[in-house]
Amino acid sequence: MSQEFIRLKNSFLFKGLPDAVLEALVQKVIRRTFYEGEALMRRGEDGDALYIIDQGSVKIVTVDKEGGELVLNHCGPGEAIGEMSLFDKEPRSAGVIALEETHALELKQDAFFELLNQRPDLALNFIRSFSARLRFSSTYIQKAIEWSKKIAEGDYSFMEQFHTGQTGQFKADTDDDKAGQLLSAFFNMVKGVRAREENLKLQVETLTLQIDEVRRRQEFEELTSTDFYAALKEKAQAIRQQRSDKK
Amino acid sequence: MGKIVSIHSFRGGTGKSNTTANLASQVAMTGKRVGVVDTDIQSPGIHVLFGLDETSMGKTLNDFLYGKCEIAEVAYPVGDYAAAAKESAPGRAQLAGKDLFLIPSSIRGREISRVLREGYDVGRLNEGFQTLIQNINLDYLFIDTHPGLNEETLLSIAISDILLLILRPDNQDFQGTAVTVDIARSLDVSNLLLMVNKAVPNKYTYENLKTQIETAYKAPLTGILPLSFDMADNASKDIFSLRYPDHDWSKELRKVAQAVMDTN
Ligand SMILES: Nc1ncnc2c1ncn2[C@@H]1O[C@H](COP(=O)(O)OP(=O)(O)OP(=O)(O)O)[C@@H](O)[C@H]1O
Ligand SMILES: [Mg+2]
Repeated sequence: MSQEFIRLKNSFLFKGLPDAVLEALVQKVIRRTFYEGEALMRRGEDGDALYIIDQGSVKIVTVDKEGGELVLNHCGPGEAIGEMSLFDKEPRSAGVIALEETHALELKQDAFFELLNQRPDLALNFIRSFSARLRFSSTYIQKAIEWSKKIAEGDYSFMEQFHTGQTGQFKADTDDDKAGQLLSAFFNMVKGVRAREENLKLQVETLTLQIDEVRRRQEFEELTSTDFYAALKEKAQAIRQQRSDKK
Repeated sequence: MGKIVSIHSFRGGTGKSNTTANLASQVAMTGKRVGVVDTDIQSPGIHVLFGLDETSMGKTLNDFLYGKCEIAEVAYPVGDYAAAAKESAPGRAQLAGKDLFLIPSSIRGREISRVLREGYDVGRLNEGFQTLIQNINLDYLFIDTHPGLNEETLLSIAISDILLLILRPDNQDFQGTAVTVDIARSLDVSNLLLMVNKAVPNKYTYENLKTQIETAYKAPLTGILPLSFDMADNASKDIFSLRYPDHDWSKELRKVAQAVMDTN
């Protein structure tokens, strides 16, 4: 079995396809090499191919409000990018840039369609795979909504259900698909928010109780140096005496 | 002999009137005989919490201060009319039959401006307090004050058995409260209690806040009452702690009431 065959067989997209179909697919893919900094795809370009990374790593980027680069994600061996472009021809929603020398398997839309014509069972398999994924994603979106509500109320208890990797980054207990990535991004966000919140609490604590003692004395002296005050003090004493006599 | 409890804060808007009304109500609910005087003659407010308005208000503290009537004539028996407000103020309605008397100050513009213009005899105000306690046989007389340290406030502080100082957790209040504490000590007030109101929930460690405040002022912090939308929304229409007894604000308020009653 070729390296390409194994990659395809293990990728989330083509998992479960009969070997014969995978063999046919292997014939359609082109092995490509990208050098560090080279773009696999650019944001806004028409998408007409899918890539499965074989070796190396890439970053998925978009532009932030100030026009700077915003890294959405990193992907490595076995992961698929641009798979939606197999079905539609929408412009790419994000750019993908190689972080090092990267080898990827490219599957063009035309080649893919050709294969679908020859093997209708392949289409069915794809629909199954996509709908399973959709179901999976919506479960997690549902969870994310639930958790967001909890965070808004300051309840972080659900975080304890997930384990922390060695890097301290949260890793969700899911397959390495996009929903899982979203989830782990989500957890890292929560961690960040929580840390900032704790930090703020500390700031407020140390900010409390500052009394300017000089001003305190000055104001006290101003208030107590009047004739009214002296008379009041005397009177208060007398009243107190009177009242305690009555007891 | 009844006790005089003054509720004061250095700055305005700390929640004195709401606290006074709720403390007085809580204490009255235990069966004690309680009076409440509004000495914030410049900007009266506590009458609203007890359901009095311009039409239902006859003679006031102002009439007494200018020698037009006896103090007992301006003591409104809240317990006698509270039941009528069952619908609009179900909290206050619970005071029906209790011995709670409100001595409001005038909300008529002309009478307020006279006070601002001419002032009044603070000695007479004090006589009024003493007479009230005796004539209607009060266990507690709560005094709602005007913020700051003007003459009538100094008098209320000087003659009180218990002074409750309210502060918000910010540095301006901390500073002003420090001066007020010094004044209270200089006037030999025997019981000084502190209360924090409008504390943003979860923003501070309450233990830490308590330690700092008690260390700085050397007086017990009797409650930390949270800033709350429900309170801002409802408080001035009804006695909040009676209407929403399970609310955090009410729970803390009851601690303060307990501290007042535990003070000898
Ligand atoms: N814990 C709280 N959370 C939110 N709002 C509050 C709280 N306590 C009081 N308030 C609101 O703050 C405002 C001021 O309260 P209140 O009139 O009792 O204060 P005050 O100290 O008597 O004011 P003043 O100095 O003007 O007499 C009111 O609108 C009241 O509803
Ligand atoms: Mg007030």
